[in-house]
Amino acid sequence: MKVSLHKVELECRRRDLNVGDLLREAGVSRNAFYSLVRKDYVVPLSLVRIAERLDIAVSDILEETETPVARMKALAAESERISKRHPGADPDNIRHTLILLSERPIERLRRALRRGGVVEIR
Amino acid sequence: MAVSSKFGDRELAFLRELVRQKVEFMIVGLSAAALQGAPVVTQDIDLWFRELPDPGLERALRKVRGAYVPPTASAPPMLAGKGIELFDIVLRMDGLGEFEEEEKHAIKMPFGRTKVLVLGLERIIASKKAAGREKDRIVLRVLTDALKAIRERERSKRRQKA
Repeated sequence: MKVSLHKVELECRRRDLNVGDLLREAGVSRNAFYSLVRKDYVVPLSLVRIAERLDIAVSDILEETETPVARMKALAAESERISKRHPGADPDNIRHTLILLSERPIERLRRALRRGGVVEIR
Repeated sequence: MAVSSKFGDRELAFLRELVRQKVEFMIVGLSAAALQGAPVVTQDIDLWFRELPDPGLERALRKVRGAYVPPTASAPPMLAGKGIELFDIVLRMDGLGEFEEEEKHAIKMPFGRTKVLVLGLERIIASKKAAGREKDRIVLRVLTDALKAIRERERSKRRQKA
């Protein structure tokens, strides 16, 4: 699986950008980008071997990871949906709970204790 | 991620030791609510024991170099020692049944490789309502909103699975 310069350029054109602008706005150096473009495989070779053994494309064993922005947008949408179903609920409480649900229980507790060190509610 | 100095290896070791010594206990109060995702703050971790004193508790405390301080006429039983001062002993929960009854509403939550019983958020709310102190009333709104969010999230997960 390799980077398709053609696809990148196509997506840039759709957004009225050139590749140079894209790299600058994304904070990626030209060297880093073009060195990726020159590679035959941008995924670890071990994954390529696993896919070959399974006789499938590497993309078949990969899944999208949400970007932080996409994650927060999804969370805001979920929070809004829940707030509409429960008009009496405070949207901030709903949103903060949803954020905490993405953390491990022990981290949630640590947050509560850290904040409890300065807030006077037990 | 840096480990918080407020709940680190010592505290984890104590909980692990309680489980290893087969002490029957559960985490209750706001720390239990926080574990389940409620956006609350707390200064201690309330532990509700089925019975006290408990020989298993004594053994667990010895392992972590802590001590059980028996109750006096004016003070409840306490735990003493490094890494243990964060834990408070709870003798009874306002508005709730006996330990054996409430155990059925508790959930097992992971603490590292150990799983610890935690009182369910619904029962924590019931207890706060019954206690009715000012500090309980302040936090009730957050707890009930959190419960709504948690239930909605569970409902949507179930729908996705179906």
